[in-house]
Formats: sequence, structure tokens, C-alpha cells
Amino acid sequence: MTETTPESTLISRSAELFYRPGKLILTFFEHLGRYMSTIGWMIYNFRNAKEYSGNILQQMVMIGNNSIPIVLFVSMFVGMVTAVQSSYQLYAWIPRSVVGALVTKSVLLELTPLLTALVLAGKVGATITAELGTMRVTEQIDALEALAFDPISFLITPRVLAGVLMFPILVVFGDLVAILGGMFGASAIAGIPVEAFVDGMKSSFETWDAIFGIIKATVFGFIITSVSCYQGFQVQGGSEGVGKATMNTVVLACLSVVVMDFILASVLL
Amino acid sequence: MIQLTNIWKKFGDKQVHNGVNLEVRDNETLVIIGRSGGGKSVLLKMIIGLIKPDSGSIVVDGKDVASLTYKQLQRLRFKFGFLFQGAALFDSMTVGQNIELALRRHGDYKDADITERVKFALHLVKLENVEHLMPSSISGGMKKRVGLARAIALTPKYMLYDEPTTGLDVETADGINLLINELKTTLGVTSIVVTHDIHSAFVVGDRFAIFEKGQFIMTGTKDDIRNSPNPEVRKYIESDIQT
Repeated sequence: MTETTPESTLISRSAELFYRPGKLILTFFEHLGRYMSTIGWMIYNFRNAKEYSGNILQQMVMIGNNSIPIVLFVSMFVGMVTAVQSSYQLYAWIPRSVVGALVTKSVLLELTPLLTALVLAGKVGATITAELGTMRVTEQIDALEALAFDPISFLITPRVLAGVLMFPILVVFGDLVAILGGMFGASAIAGIPVEAFVDGMKSSFETWDAIFGIIKATVFGFIITSVSCYQGFQVQGGSEGVGKATMNTVVLACLSVVVMDFILASVLL
Repeated sequence: MIQLTNIWKKFGDKQVHNGVNLEVRDNETLVIIGRSGGGKSVLLKMIIGLIKPDSGSIVVDGKDVASLTYKQLQRLRFKFGFLFQGAALFDSMTVGQNIELALRRHGDYKDADITERVKFALHLVKLENVEHLMPSSISGGMKKRVGLARAIALTPKYMLYDEPTTGLDVETADGINLLINELKTTLGVTSIVVTHDIHSAFVVGDRFAIFEKGQFIMTGTKDDIRNSPNPEVRKYIESDIQT
């Protein structure tokens, strides 16, 4: 029998202290490696994408068209809230037209791309993971491979491509509606004349702001769709595994989006 | 011919295969019998390269599966039809689309030929006019038949059946067993059937392999199995007598 001494207990506790963080770090890098490998395979076999053009169009409808109502709804209220709060905070200090400038800048640079991405991380990301995860646990992905299909080219590439193409379009629509919402909020709630709002908007508008928002949307589209596809492919177990992967997708996609938001702002602005 | 030599596989801490050896001869139906969750299905997936063994070799028609490039592996998969345990039909596609998917991707067929081949595959599994139905609206037995039709659409040389009768009532299971026998006669396929149902095994099999604790403890004909004194083998025979 092994004798328990104070020294051995201390060593055992120290080992435990390092074991969990160590395992977490290893798991993180294991997943990062697999994710990168999946993305690498997708890019390497990108030429196969044309064979699955039907899938790409189907996914563009699912990711793009079906998300238009929620994106417009969120953007409208974001614009209105930004206008009302800007007006409330700055009312006594600055000319009223500044509210128009502030809303336009905030919406184009940050609010619409970020909030659209966070909303779609939940809607699109969760849908993709649940769909692919269910295909994994019901052996549909194995069946595709058994039929000599490349499941990454067949399932992941169309979704990621659709995300990269449709997110910027959604953000452009979102920008327009958010500015209109801001105009409405400013005039109806804060009593700022539409002319003053438009003057502020015109004086502050820079094309680069809109382009920057579109670049962000493209990157967010890639992150959300690729993370959700990867999570779906990694599902193990049954419905519990699908639920866990779906939750992981939403959390990981949201975290990745806010981190990338900061990186892009630091690099490009 | 398919030859598995000294296959070892571990999932996490669980050793699933301990030096598995098996030979599948051309034009025979070999039935692998063993308890659920023992690693029988994994063997089928290893044969078509869906899962890689930790060590050992799998040779199909003289080609070592592990040494094939991805393209070569895909070409090898054309030789196989695989009926999955739950049929694994693509639930976003109709029955017809499930069957024609591989034909459109891999075959050089015109639309009319594809329609004919889909009808023929469905005819072979005793189904008519179901092309437009979604998988969610058909019964478990029909799903297996559609899965079978999808598997044979490209006229494979080998058929792999993963628990073909699990979850089906006796009558439907007997129907599937008869289909397996008919497909062997009609298409001349070499088949591997994985099951824990000894009754079905004896209906479809030419040769039998008993899989226990990560190894094949016995291979032989129906009579060899029935007359075996090995208690691990006898428990399957007795379960058949009881049912």
C-alpha cells in the first residue's frame, strides 16, 4: 500500500491544479488544429464548389433571404435607440445635426455589422450546427462519404460561401434601415428635424465607413458559418450532443465575432 | 476479396478490436454476429475507409485501403453499397433524390436514364411510386428498403449491411432478409451482414463469424456454429432457439 505523506498530498494537489487547465489548453489546440484542417481542406478543394452550385443557392436563400426580416427588425430599432440616446446624452452641448452624424457613423462602422452578426450567430449558426449535427448522429454524413462524396465540399463549402456572400448584403440592407430608423427616432421622439439629421449624415458620411462595415460583415459571415459547420461535424452522441454543439456554436461564434471586431478595428481604422 | 489482418482499434480508453483477422470471399454472404456496441459496425466502416484502424491492414481486391490516396479511396467506394443501421436517408431530399444523388454525381447518365435506374432500384426492393415522398413520411421498413435501393443504384460489387433488421417487426425483418438474398442472386454481390439477430443471420448467411471481446472467436458454416461446444457461441444459438 502506498503511504500518504504531507509531501505526496501536496504533489498530488499540485498535479490536480495543473491537470485541468492543461487539459483545457490541449483540447483548445486540438480543436483549433482540426478547425484549421477543415478550412484548409475546404480551400484546397474549392474548385469542386461549382459541382455543388445548387447547394450554394439553397444556402444563400436559407442564410440570406430567410434572415432579412430579423436583420431589418433589429436594425430599425438599433437606429432608433442610437438616435434617441445620442440626442438625450448630447442635447444641451452640441448642434442637433450631430445626432445624424453620430447615428450614421455608429451604424455603418459598428452597430449594424456587429449586431447583425450576433443575431445571425444565434439564428444561422445554431441552425447549421443542429442540421449538420443531426446528419452526423444519424450517419447521413457517413452515408455521403460511403457514396464517394466529399462531405466538406458538399456540406461545408456551400454554407461558408453563402455566409460570406450574404452577410455583407444583409448588412447593407441593415445599414439603410438603421439610418432610416435613426431618422425616425430622432424626429419623432427627440424632436430633431429631418433636415438637420440629413445635414449631419451628409457632412459625416465617408465611403470607407460603409466599406469597413462590409469587410467586417464578410469576415463575420465566414467565422459564423465555418464555426457552426465545424461544430456540427464534430457532434458525438445523440440529441444531447447536438444540443451541446449548438450551444457551443452560439457562444464560440459570438466570442470570435467580438474579438475579430476589435482586431479589424485596430488594423483597418 | 476482402482481407482484414491483425486490426487493432481503441476509442478513448476502450480497446474495441484486439488483432482482428477476417477473410471475405467473393460471392459469399458473410454474417458477423456479436453483441451490440462491440465494434462490429466499426469494422464495416473501416473496410470503406470511414474509420482508420490504429494498426493492421485491410485489403480490398488487392489494394491496401490505408495506403490509398483520397481520390483512390473514393473510387474504391464505388464498389461498395452500404445499408446503414437507421438507413441514413438524407432527410432534406425526397426518396427519389436520395437514390439519384450518387447517379447524378458519379454516373454519366441522362435524366431519362436516371429516372429509369431509380425506378429499377426501387423495383428491386419492392417499392413503386414512392419517389416523391420525404423520408420523414415513410415507415422504418420502407426507409431500410429505400436505403437499400440507394446502396444498389450504382450496382456495387460489395454490399455492407449494418444491422439490417434491427428495430423492425418480424414480418418486415423477414422481408428485408428475403431482399438481401434476392439481391445476392440478382446482382451477384458479395455481402457482409453485421447483426446480433441470429435468426436473420441464418436466413441470409453462407458463412458466419462470431465477434466477442474485440476478436473473432469462431468462423464457419451454419452447421459449424450450431454444433460448436464453445459457450460464447452457444449463447447465440440458444437465443435463437428461445425466439
